[in-house]
Amino acid sequence: MIHYVCKYTPLELFHGFGESCAILEEMPENFDLSDQIAHANLCGFGKSVIQAVLEGKADQLILVNCCDSMRRVYDIIKNTGKCRFLYLLDLPHEDNECEKVKFAASLRRLKEAYEKFSGKAFDKTRFLDAFSGPASESRPYIGVLGVRVSGVLEKMIRDHISMEVDNFTCTGSRHLAVSPDELQSQDENVMFLAYADALLRQIPCFRMNSRSQRTKLYLDPNLKGIIYHTIKFCDYYGFEYASIKKDIKVPLLKIETDFTSQSAGQLLTRIEAFSETIEGSQDMNPGKGISKEARKKMESGIYYVAGIDSGSTSTDVVILDQDGAIKSTMIIPTGGGAMMSAEKSLELAVEKAGIKKEEIVRIVTTGYGRAYIDSGDDSITEITCHAKGAHYLNPNVRTVIDIGGQDIKAISIDENGAVKNFLMNDKCAAGTGRFLEMMARTLGLSLEEMSKKGLEWKENIVISSMCTVFAESEVVSLVAQNKDVADIIHGLNVSVASKVGALAARLGKNNPGEYMMTGGVAKNQGITKALEEKLGAPLYICDKAQLCGALGAALFAFEKCKEGR
Amino acid sequence: MNIIDKFGSLVGREALQDPKKARQLLLAGYRLQEARLLLASDKALPTSGRYAARIVMKNIIQALAKPENAAMVSIFVPGELLTAANLTPYSVEALSCFMAGTKCEQSFLRKTEEEGFPETMCSYHRVFLGAALTGLLPKPKCMVYTNLACDGNMMTFPYLRDTHGIPGFYIDVPYEKNQESIQYVAGQLREMKHFLEEMTGKSISEEAVQRAVNNSKKAAANYQQQLALRKTHDLSTTLTNELYAIFMCHLLSGSEKAVKYTQLLLDDVKKAPRAEGLHVLWMHIMPFLQEPVKEVFNYSKNIHISACDFVADGFQEMHSLDPYEAMAEKMVNCIYNGAVDQRIQLAEQLAKQTGADGGILFAHWGCKGTIGASSLIKASLEKAGLPTMILDGDGCNPANTSDGQVSTRLQAFMEMLEKGKEEHHL
Repeated sequence: MIHYVCKYTPLELFHGFGESCAILEEMPENFDLSDQIAHANLCGFGKSVIQAVLEGKADQLILVNCCDSMRRVYDIIKNTGKCRFLYLLDLPHEDNECEKVKFAASLRRLKEAYEKFSGKAFDKTRFLDAFSGPASESRPYIGVLGVRVSGVLEKMIRDHISMEVDNFTCTGSRHLAVSPDELQSQDENVMFLAYADALLRQIPCFRMNSRSQRTKLYLDPNLKGIIYHTIKFCDYYGFEYASIKKDIKVPLLKIETDFTSQSAGQLLTRIEAFSETIEGSQDMNPGKGISKEARKKMESGIYYVAGIDSGSTSTDVVILDQDGAIKSTMIIPTGGGAMMSAEKSLELAVEKAGIKKEEIVRIVTTGYGRAYIDSGDDSITEITCHAKGAHYLNPNVRTVIDIGGQDIKAISIDENGAVKNFLMNDKCAAGTGRFLEMMARTLGLSLEEMSKKGLEWKENIVISSMCTVFAESEVVSLVAQNKDVADIIHGLNVSVASKVGALAARLGKNNPGEYMMTGGVAKNQGITKALEEKLGAPLYICDKAQLCGALGAALFAFEKCKEGR
Repeated sequence: MNIIDKFGSLVGREALQDPKKARQLLLAGYRLQEARLLLASDKALPTSGRYAARIVMKNIIQALAKPENAAMVSIFVPGELLTAANLTPYSVEALSCFMAGTKCEQSFLRKTEEEGFPETMCSYHRVFLGAALTGLLPKPKCMVYTNLACDGNMMTFPYLRDTHGIPGFYIDVPYEKNQESIQYVAGQLREMKHFLEEMTGKSISEEAVQRAVNNSKKAAANYQQQLALRKTHDLSTTLTNELYAIFMCHLLSGSEKAVKYTQLLLDDVKKAPRAEGLHVLWMHIMPFLQEPVKEVFNYSKNIHISACDFVADGFQEMHSLDPYEAMAEKMVNCIYNGAVDQRIQLAEQLAKQTGADGGILFAHWGCKGTIGASSLIKASLEKAGLPTMILDGDGCNPANTSDGQVSTRLQAFMEMLEKGKEEHHL
């Protein structure tokens, strides 16, 4: 078995040797073996290849000279001596005549190297048999673009998107526009030239010098949405995303992983929210319609619905009455698991409302813990719920900025409260509630004290690091320099505001309408003030800001019942 | 805040409001610095260092003040052809170093972050891209770039070519190092000459090309000569100066200035005191702004950078008599091209030649080629008997590095080398 990592790899050539080929794109659980011999800041995919080789999963491997990381991965693997056959194919950056001739020569050198290694002879008939037929006809689909997705991530995307999904990343949609009949009659020189030509004429990957052909990938009329994947430390596709995102007219979701299976697992919320954006965002799970029992209760004319937002820091509940008015709310810290906290918070909210739990006819759950709560009738992502809740609280809001315990979200919404687009930070803690907690601890203050003290600043101190570890050491050294704590806090506030402001700016600066801030950090006056300055616009903050997600969930439940009525 | 910080933040702020005004402000600052270098140069620097500082400053001023006569290039593009075409070259790395030196880099970094460009990308490229996006960088006559050494080139240049409508020429350097590759690159360099003629509207004589290549050969010979003396002579200098040497062997290669620089350097080394201090082989680019690194190396009488692989590779000997093949040879044989082996070989050779006590490989944030190679380089050099440290950092963005960490690592390594040297003497 020969493993490969790039669509420009001449797979048919290896079929000519009677070998089969498999893509090597497995997301490992971690990079423990790779980290022992390679730098930690190598891209996750590069590390996954090294990891797979060290685990003995690939002993014949064809790499391609695609990027700086892959060139070094080749060096590192070669040095391990773990592959019986390891080859780096030199891929040009253009597809003009000179480059084709050069690439054909590279292919022939690879053929000779494999002949020498395997002792097998190249069989032209087998080679020709390996060419696939013409491409299938197009139909509406969601395109996965950017850098390679595989294994758990690809499955997750396919499982949660009901439309057809086509993979156009590094190894996806490999198709050579050449007919084996043409090649049949050619001598080897001409045949390899035609083969090189067909390989290079595929839709170019982003490392090629001219990429105008790539516009086909995102301007196809059958394309209904794009999931764009980037890997931490793979700059090519992060760069392409930034340069094309303005031209894309279909819904677009950017996801980033470090190519471990856990990092892919964390993306479920975003993929579900994206699916809600393109496939409708009502609470309309057919398997979870309104039960007969619930309908019966609704006949009395007095009934309630609830939304539960199970977050990393707090579990919030909102109960609405049959007219959509807020009956009661509850916020308790999440502890002892999502399920337990949800039940407890709901019980307390019921008690506060002075109603009976049985009078609640429908519950919608949201937030990180939503999948672990059994009591809900349906669950919707917090992104869709935040948009809904924000719209209810202030219909003029068009951008919601939510800074929670472990993530930052910027959501742009339309005049009906539906999600137009959203962005989230990656798994780095920079700018999140946790970041602020860590800094408060370093300064020996409570979050509340920090929130107020930062307003009394005098000197403008710049904290350049957003990395939690580096920022902590900057803060420590500022304290050592006897800088005023208020000034240090102000520096931190400004740095968080610029991180969050940049996220909001990426959504589009000219979003007409108001900005609203939700999440626990909305209570931090220092941050909100700095953020208002960064955005150049006031932030709408209300006392129910923290309940926005739960409120949205309750509103979805309310609307569903209203429809049913 | 000191005066440079204030100036930098003013330029950065202004770049977002009125980029032309910001450019004038920056130019005024640079012209002031140029005058200072001329009238009150740093006497602690060797003559070659003072000369390089002046020339490089002048080059940047020219590039910003007369963009119609400037070419935006990636650092490994042969300077000889630009010299022959009488164009002022400026590279991503050069300009970003100056921006960072003037402390206005953060505005440009933020700009790229707002546009969604990856934060893991090389900071030199991000600062440059940010400066171009704000409009601070004027539109040059043309751009010339190559895939050699850095993927960043294949992002920044095509992007600015397409979005800013800058005519561009691309030189593809194959991974494989053989005669066929040299011929292939030489062919492209002949085309590059035509491209530059078309851009400037002036023909470039073959004599001018030959003269430029001959200058490079002279400069390389001078450089190699001084290298041979570094084992026994200790030249006191600064990290910034080492960085200027990179300008001389790439951007300004082929110029009379580069030849003069290497002559002055050779004279300085000949006059330098007998070697008694620690010798460090520096690998890759220099973090010339990082305080703890400056504290150790700048003007030191005890610790010296005896050689830098980036510079030594840039002043490599060119053999071919055909000027295009000679330039192609330098590109194809560059240590950053192909497998890592040649990088290791050159490091070993330089360490031996200059009597290095240890090696420091600077793993610049975002430089995937160096980061990926770092563990192999360290292991190989240590096997060959050279204690080696990988110093993680960022050449122009202080946010990606921590002074405290760098200081501890560097000091500990120096203590280790000193101990090693003492034991060796015993």
